[in-house]
Amino acid sequence: MISKKALIIIIILLLISPVFGVVLADMVGYHEPLDLAAEALGLEDISEDVNWTPFFDYTFPGLDPITGYIVSGLIGILIIMAIGWLMYKLVSGRRE
Amino acid sequence: MHIPDGFLDPIWSISTYVITIIYYIVGIKFTKAKLTPNKVSLITVLAAGIFVAQMLNWPLPGGTSLHFVGGALAGILLGPLYGAVTMGLVVTIQCLVFHDGGITALGANLLNMAIIDVLIGYLLYKLTINALGKKPSSAFIGGFLGGWLGIVLAGIACGFEIGLSPLFPYGIAITVPVMGFWHFVIGVIEGIITGSVIAYIASKCPSLLWKGGSEK
Repeated sequence: MISKKALIIIIILLLISPVFGVVLADMVGYHEPLDLAAEALGLEDISEDVNWTPFFDYTFPGLDPITGYIVSGLIGILIIMAIGWLMYKLVSGRRE
Repeated sequence: MHIPDGFLDPIWSISTYVITIIYYIVGIKFTKAKLTPNKVSLITVLAAGIFVAQMLNWPLPGGTSLHFVGGALAGILLGPLYGAVTMGLVVTIQCLVFHDGGITALGANLLNMAIIDVLIGYLLYKLTINALGKKPSSAFIGGFLGGWLGIVLAGIACGFEIGLSPLFPYGIAITVPVMGFWHFVIGVIEGIITGSVIAYIASKCPSLLWKGGSEK
């Protein structure tokens, strides 16, 4: 269903993702334009107060931030592929 | 660009959910493009690729950061409906599994990244190809313009959503210029990545572009 080449690219991106998402973000800080706009208005992010997931902000309970980031990314990819596989089966079945 | 919980006024939270749901319902009801197994494979691989690409955050000089969004890329490759489905899959999983983007803001985040970015990217790419012809160089220009201006308009929409609130009557005077300016600047990188990927596909696998997604 998914080509080997595409899968390799996705895995490489996943393995290097903590360099950008964790290491550089910790060194330089992470500040999107949305954060700048929200700061100017004094808006408050209440995500941590109403959190429902153990994988909050791409972390994994009990794992260090770098490993947790990779494992979280893997979980996300596997969920997408599982949904894609179900859709594929549904569409293939409908066409037979 | 993921709006967290706490940023949106309830009116905007509900109305963006409604607009987003209507877009998907109307799209599914009226689309002429059939959902084929090949298209499902493309949706899946693109969603997985965009999901992981969004995890690569780039800090930039000047105190801001960016990550690739990918809405225009999805729109160009899959068209306005299935591009929105691809981005919808990414944005919804980010929200529900990782709390990246609030549940109260999921409608707005889908509207910005899965609808506006996808639609603008698709339309600008189509306009460019119609004007310049089907060749890799025009695919790059179309992808660049779609990727760049798609994220600018999505950013401006985001500025309206968080700035237009009864609590902040003059909020948009702050949020729209901030979101518009920064996305105009950093959106160039989104445009270069989108244009490069589309030009590569145009040269290596042209059937995916000229006969595949957006043509249908």
